[in-house]
Amino acid sequence: MRRASPGRWLDVALRCYPRAYRVRFEPGMRNALERDWARARHAGPAALVAFCVVTAIDALRFGLAERCHPRGGFSMSSFLAVDVRDALRSLRASPVVTLVAVVSLAFGIGANTALFSLLDSIVLKPLPVRHPSRLVVVDGGSWTNPIWEQIRERRHDIFEDAFAWSGERFNLATHGETDYVDGAWASGSIFDTLGIGAAFGRTYTAADDVHGGGPDGAVAVVSYGFWQRRLGGAADAIGRHLTLNGVDVAVVGVMPRGFFGPDVGRSADIIAPIGAAELMPGRQALLDGRSTWWLEIMGRLKPAQTIEQAAARLNAVRPSIREATLPQNWPPKELANYLPEPLKLVPGANGQSDLRRSYVKPLQIVLGLVAAVLAIACANLANLLLARAAARRSELSVRLALGASRFRLAKQLLAEAAMLAAAGALLGLLVAQWGSALLVRQLATSSQGVTLDLSPDWRVLLFTVAVAMLTAIVFGTAPALGVGGVSANDAIRAQTRTVTGDRRFSLRNALVAVQVALSLALVVGGLLFVRTLTALASASLGFTPQGLIAIDLSARANALEPPARLQLFERARQAVADVPGVSQAALSVLTPVGSMRWNTVVAPTPLTTGLTDRKRLSWVNLVSPGWFGTLGMRLMAGRDFDGHDTAGTPAVMIVNESFARRFLGEPAAAIGREVRTSLEGPDVLTYRVVGIVNDAVYTDVRKGFEPTVFVPLAQVHQMPAEIVVTARAAGGDGERLTRALAAAMTRTDAQVSFTIHPLAEQLRSAVRQERLTAILAGFFGVMALLLAAVGLYGLASHAVAQRRAEIGIRMALGADPQRVVRLVLGRLLVLLSIGLALGVVLSWWTVALFEQLLFGLRPRDPMTFSTGCGVLVLAALAAGWLPARRAARMDPVRALREA
Amino acid sequence: MSEMDISDPLKPAVLHILLALAEGERHGYAIMQAVREQSRGGVPLRTGSFYRHLSQLLEAGWVGEVKAPAGDDPRRGAYYRLTPRGRTALQAERARLVALLDAFPRRSARRSHS
Repeated sequence: MRRASPGRWLDVALRCYPRAYRVRFEPGMRNALERDWARARHAGPAALVAFCVVTAIDALRFGLAERCHPRGGFSMSSFLAVDVRDALRSLRASPVVTLVAVVSLAFGIGANTALFSLLDSIVLKPLPVRHPSRLVVVDGGSWTNPIWEQIRERRHDIFEDAFAWSGERFNLATHGETDYVDGAWASGSIFDTLGIGAAFGRTYTAADDVHGGGPDGAVAVVSYGFWQRRLGGAADAIGRHLTLNGVDVAVVGVMPRGFFGPDVGRSADIIAPIGAAELMPGRQALLDGRSTWWLEIMGRLKPAQTIEQAAARLNAVRPSIREATLPQNWPPKELANYLPEPLKLVPGANGQSDLRRSYVKPLQIVLGLVAAVLAIACANLANLLLARAAARRSELSVRLALGASRFRLAKQLLAEAAMLAAAGALLGLLVAQWGSALLVRQLATSSQGVTLDLSPDWRVLLFTVAVAMLTAIVFGTAPALGVGGVSANDAIRAQTRTVTGDRRFSLRNALVAVQVALSLALVVGGLLFVRTLTALASASLGFTPQGLIAIDLSARANALEPPARLQLFERARQAVADVPGVSQAALSVLTPVGSMRWNTVVAPTPLTTGLTDRKRLSWVNLVSPGWFGTLGMRLMAGRDFDGHDTAGTPAVMIVNESFARRFLGEPAAAIGREVRTSLEGPDVLTYRVVGIVNDAVYTDVRKGFEPTVFVPLAQVHQMPAEIVVTARAAGGDGERLTRALAAAMTRTDAQVSFTIHPLAEQLRSAVRQERLTAILAGFFGVMALLLAAVGLYGLASHAVAQRRAEIGIRMALGADPQRVVRLVLGRLLVLLSIGLALGVVLSWWTVALFEQLLFGLRPRDPMTFSTGCGVLVLAALAAGWLPARRAARMDPVRALREA
Repeated sequence: MSEMDISDPLKPAVLHILLALAEGERHGYAIMQAVREQSRGGVPLRTGSFYRHLSQLLEAGWVGEVKAPAGDDPRRGAYYRLTPRGRTALQAERARLVALLDAFPRRSARRSHS
């Protein structure tokens, strides 16, 4: 991990100074700031925070001072300069208020910026290539290599240039435990099309991208990061050989720093020509497969070409492309659909990203929540500044009496707010830099790293500036408006004895009611997402994941005939079962809740005649005897597979309850029935049902239970080269066994490669989007609650202080402490009720946006709404309790004397 | 905050900067560190305030910019030295301080509570 450095943030901070000043002093200042930063970092987090706050304020203070009192030619209008100077002075006069304000703004603005820069990098940022706006993507999923080769021949007629690519995890290990690196197969034209040159060595071209490797054999280029990390940044890295999924390639070049390939969020550390993919053991058919859909295609428009023109040209040649690439073995009906299907182009400037589908909506929602938190924090600041303005009432009225205009005073108060917001924003950028890096780490899983370019671009800076200005307006306007209520007489009039205090429904009360409303919406949102996560985590899976370890085993490098593979797999299973601490082990081609899935259309049964193919789909898995027991599934009827179910005996099948109910009727009566489907190739085979198992999740907890069939591994004709050995740890703790399992695999066969991962981890990463959303929504919900409580507390304390005399009189006249407490809390509860009523209306409307992201509950869940209201009532009582108790314990004599 | 005048008393930070430079040519951060050590943290000098003072000293011609020694890390920024005018100002301040000390009655420090 890169060491946290203030680098980019310092750029922004130094921008506060005028240009001439920067030209003269920037290197020295940067050096000094970086070294002081390192010292503060060494001294601990508190020192670092203090350093950052002071540096942000200093940059504004001295930067503006240099701009206002220049020794050069440039001059800011003295009109504004005076305000800035006065604002800085008055902020320095009350350092605690200033510190609280700047730090809370920094967190508010920082959290907003962090989320925005994450969205920016996933959705908005263009690829770091030449003229990204001219890139287009052929829409509609993946394409086969024959289709790409047809387009490739015509690419200069249709586009300026075009390329195809496919993201791939390359296993760098030749055998044994896998060593995955994210990379891509890409056609020879990728670098020309994107306009990317090599940082060192050369990129590859069409000459290198031929079936089986070009004149230099199979080649590859590596990313700058990979070159630094894995090849030691050495100059002789060029010419070194790597093994990518069993293909030997020579490194011919290093890509420039900052280029991660055409996929956003996924760093392509190694890019190799598509032609070399043919050399992967066991994948010879990859390039010729007419129904192997694995490539994405991106084109670059000619300078004046529109996307419609390019699409028209592409579709003009479509018939011949389709004709030449007709998939073999497709039913005529589907072929008829294949031919006329048009090819669509969509803008590709932002690259492609899987992250978009799953994260954009949640991130937008969380950005909305964070904006609301900032609004609540603004309300607190407005209250703080209002209180300060009230304390400065006499100062302001003296100035009015001396002839200052109200506009002049309001302008100064606004300038103070602007300075606070500017310091908060500057510091917020730093918070954002850390926050967004932290968020990106949460997006990654053990098998899939996430690389995003989070450097602040103009969009992020513009966003931060806009948020800061909005913030300043929101919390600065209230005190500035308050100037209207000050009169020049106030100063002349001596301190008057007031008894009742201010009982009007003032601006401060309105602010607190709005705070309560917003925080109810946030608390309800947080509760909904947290309950979604707990519902997902506690949803029934149908199997017991605790203690299960999956070993993904690949025998591609072994060059074995399919039947011999089964023997190898069986030996591996036995070796795993023999490891001390393993209670059971079994084989399957797929693990539940994995990224791989397999489905089949079941021939109509009496219950399903007349249904479309889509309604007759079932999931498929191939398993060995004992697999159900290993996973903790239950056989409801019939028998498990056993050693007698082999290639020579009648084909058998075990189905789950959902399958039985949809296709065969009552589960108990399904034993012995026949199911017809085609699992391998076009031939439809008949399977006899010998057992029924309980329902279990196949793909996704959110989808629930779906029909699934299981076929014995030993009865398959084409034994796959990859298999999963699932082991159950006897004690329930599988992590301890990893090393022993790896040793067992290596002992079994020196050539196989394997990856060991606990199944529970796979389940955790399947709900990582929900977990991230729940953590963020929950965190900001709690923050909103705390901020609202602070607001309520401030209001109650202020009210008690103002009504000291009144309370004193009441107590002197015999009011008991209980009545006093009720007096204070009563007013708070009125505000609370107004706030809650507003909040319920607000949340009722906003939660509808969350609908698709929730699981196991409705957005307008009454339980959640009432819990949210209850939590806020408790928070309000807690916030009001201290001031109320203070009031009740007041000594009436002293209160009256001091008033 | 306008023109610097030799006849005016120096601000503590300015005095310390001049003192640090009296020992020889230094780059910005080295001056800051020297001031922090000389004053034992008594003069709160941060990057922002230091460079503001420095720019004023450069403007007044008390301090001049010099070439960094060969082989120095260019990231440290420019080196600075005291000009003859700066040296004069330092001398003037020294004379002022000596005069001030002389004005103290000899035993006043010990009898301060009488």
